[in-house]
Amino acid sequence: MNDLVSRLGFDSRAWIRWAFPAVLIIGLYLVPQLSGSGTFRLGEYEEILAFLIIAVALNIAMGYGGQYILGITAVFAVGAYGAILVAKYHPQNVGLVAMCVVGGVVGAVGGLIIGLPALRVGGFYLALVSLFAALAIPTVAQQWGLVGADTGIPLYAVEGWEAKLGGETLYVIVVSLVLLATLFSWALVNSRVGHRFVALHTSPQLASSIGIRAYRTQLLAILIASAMAGIAGGIYVYTQEFFAPGSSSVQFAVLLLAGMTIGGMGTITGPLLGSAIILGINQFFTGFQQYNGIVFGVLLLVFAVFLPNGLMARLTVLSERLGIRPRPPSLTSGPALPAADGAPPPTPGTVVAATPASQLPDWPPVLGADNSSPLVVEGARRAFGGVTAVDDMYLTITRGQVHGLIGSNGSGKTTLLNLISRFYSLDAGRIMIGDTRLDNQPPHAVARAGIARTFQSPKLMLRETALENVIPAVELRVRCTGAESVLRLPRGVRVNRQARTEALEILEALGLQHVIHQQAAALPHGTRRLVEMARAIALRPSFILLDEPAAGLSPVELDLVAEVCQNLARSGVGVLLIEHNVPMVLSIADTVTCLHQGKRLFQGTPAELRADTSVASVFLGIDEPLEASS
Amino acid sequence: MTLFLTALFAGLAVGSVYGLIALSYTVVFNSTAIFNVAQGDLMMAGVLVSYFCLDRWHLPQIVTLFVILAVVVAISLLEERVAVRPFVSKPVVGLGWFIATLAFSLVLETVASIIYGQNPVVPIPGALGSGTITVDGVHVATKFILAFVTMIVILVALEIFYKRSWLGTAMRGVAEDREVAALRGIDALRISRLAFVIAGVVTALAAFVVAPIVSADVSVGLTYGLKGFIALAAGGFGSLRGCVIGGLILGVAEQMFDLYVSSNYEILAGLIVVLIVLAVRPTGLFGRTAVREV
Repeated sequence: MNDLVSRLGFDSRAWIRWAFPAVLIIGLYLVPQLSGSGTFRLGEYEEILAFLIIAVALNIAMGYGGQYILGITAVFAVGAYGAILVAKYHPQNVGLVAMCVVGGVVGAVGGLIIGLPALRVGGFYLALVSLFAALAIPTVAQQWGLVGADTGIPLYAVEGWEAKLGGETLYVIVVSLVLLATLFSWALVNSRVGHRFVALHTSPQLASSIGIRAYRTQLLAILIASAMAGIAGGIYVYTQEFFAPGSSSVQFAVLLLAGMTIGGMGTITGPLLGSAIILGINQFFTGFQQYNGIVFGVLLLVFAVFLPNGLMARLTVLSERLGIRPRPPSLTSGPALPAADGAPPPTPGTVVAATPASQLPDWPPVLGADNSSPLVVEGARRAFGGVTAVDDMYLTITRGQVHGLIGSNGSGKTTLLNLISRFYSLDAGRIMIGDTRLDNQPPHAVARAGIARTFQSPKLMLRETALENVIPAVELRVRCTGAESVLRLPRGVRVNRQARTEALEILEALGLQHVIHQQAAALPHGTRRLVEMARAIALRPSFILLDEPAAGLSPVELDLVAEVCQNLARSGVGVLLIEHNVPMVLSIADTVTCLHQGKRLFQGTPAELRADTSVASVFLGIDEPLEASS
Repeated sequence: MTLFLTALFAGLAVGSVYGLIALSYTVVFNSTAIFNVAQGDLMMAGVLVSYFCLDRWHLPQIVTLFVILAVVVAISLLEERVAVRPFVSKPVVGLGWFIATLAFSLVLETVASIIYGQNPVVPIPGALGSGTITVDGVHVATKFILAFVTMIVILVALEIFYKRSWLGTAMRGVAEDREVAALRGIDALRISRLAFVIAGVVTALAAFVVAPIVSADVSVGLTYGLKGFIALAAGGFGSLRGCVIGGLILGVAEQMFDLYVSSNYEILAGLIVVLIVLAVRPTGLFGRTAVREV
């Protein structure tokens, strides 16, 4: 029995993982029965539940998307005002659904008004602009007769208004809505949309290198969160039948932030847990309310400094120790074992040997494959202040060939690469594929045109597994709409699965099957390079730009990288290889360009380089060709 | 016309205070790459000290000034120690520092409201009395003039400090590249502490001159802190002159909004200014470069 359970991949104690949330959810539904409290108490619970939806929304935008829309309470307030106004003027015709829809739409518009301009600068600008909105909206409402000024709108006093839902029925519905919001956030985070959020949150350069449109993605994160916060506003006014300027404030925004940080931003359940604790304390321990700010402030500070990942991360570690949650396989757990055909799937901890390099699959270009022209750099120049990093550069990367780029540190290799992928703009010159100019396009468009790249210091999503790091790149090619992917519609499911399968295949081809479920943060440097390379290959590009892929690799890994480069070239991909390992470059490159102080010192075949005296004299200080000296 | 001029002078005075807060933000940001959210609440603390010294204990103005300086700089240093230094000594990842300084400001505000209690908002006497100077039939309160002059003096002092002194150059260098600065023997932690001392002094002076204008009120910290940010965003990140110009623009815009639109919705003026600036010129009037990637 136990054997069967473990063969199915279940740990015998895994049920605790499911039992805990199950008990929590059932308990949540039974609160009215358990506490035996009256309608008044239920109203207070419903208030907190509405706030929890804001916490879920904020977690999507901030925890996953990295968009600090702290003043989301402003969005909540406008959504609530929108919903309550509609209810006030059409008391007979609107119910919970209509109020949620109105709240959601108004909230989304409000979020756009705050987000659109603030995003042009990014970072903490959004946080402050939205906080200012959170301050301004109640202040304006206090003076505005339409929204009832200081006293607010008491919906219960409106003639003709009667909530069709109430008591425990309403409570159960609200709990279900919170669970639905949580489920939605889980579905979103584990979809192509969520993958893009996390990639962008990790590094804008990483995101654009796999074709993610930064501005659009950030806006989407804000839009989704705002719509949810607006819906929370609709639920709030339906359950409380009241809204006033005092119902939302900057202090409330800070409380939410405290709850999220303490619970653990960027986890599904952490923000719910933390916000429930903080809001519960705030609501039910009114005797200490005066001092709450100090307690919450100190907690927030302690968590921000010492436990930035929050309680949930601690709980995860704890449950792994107790064996409730399977531990990710350790990298140092035993020798490499070849996997025999028909054997059970490798259990955690098993290391599988790499595919022999000679059996690498074909990776013919997909992105940009309709255009067979080479990538041409013409007269490129770029200066930083007084230093001209790249000057008068001519370079052609032909499909199906490896182009080596060598030169000492600071000779302009990486700058050239950054110019091609448009992280820097050119001062002069052009970059073309056939007739298509690339130098006036944004970085994500360059990736979409079929140019993949790696970074000198690998940029990976450290909290994600190796597999999850590669999937977003595949998702640029295998298309479906974001909604299909989030809502698991037929095409979405198929494409999600396809992306996963292709990512797995590439990782396995690079001999990384033993780390696919490892967090990138736990991987050694050399493995990170290979994962990044897998991500670049996953785009199935027409050109691949590798920035020192062999730095810090073991001899075995080095051979693999060389094999991969040659294999890519065989598959019809144009490879630009920046390397300090000159023997490796000379052994696999078809053409070599040598840079010196931003200028092209030499260009030709490896054989010509060996015979050339200029390179040898610059780098070795001798007047003989390399061939003779070695 | 008289109304317009009165509003203009009031706007320049309040704008000067926004400018001063923006200057404090910039001093800190320029050497730590951290935007100190609690700056407004530091000023609020100064305003409350001013209230206790002048209204409660009837201390002389000059003594009050020194008490404010001592208290605000002390709190500023405390903040640097508990909320900022953990993020200065390691590479900045994410916006953890933002949360930490926000948390500090929450604590500060709560403590202040406990100490201040439920007292009503009380006016605080100004250093130059409650007199006015009449120019062309327009009365300008001396407290307004003091605010404006203070801001100009501090701006000039800071510009000279950054351009002429070794320390000023070092502070700019640390913000530019911490590692390179360290190689030159500049201690980033000492610079960070120094930045908080200077920002504390600027904030304390802002508190001293603004106290008679805003009266004793715990909520001024948040409001002025956020408006100081708008001044900064409008003027341009990193530019000292930009802070001042941005502050004045916001102050005058608010007063004009009061005069010509509605005084009830004054706070909208700030929102409109910041949204327009970000839409038209995201780097602000004097900002040369975009904000560093944070």
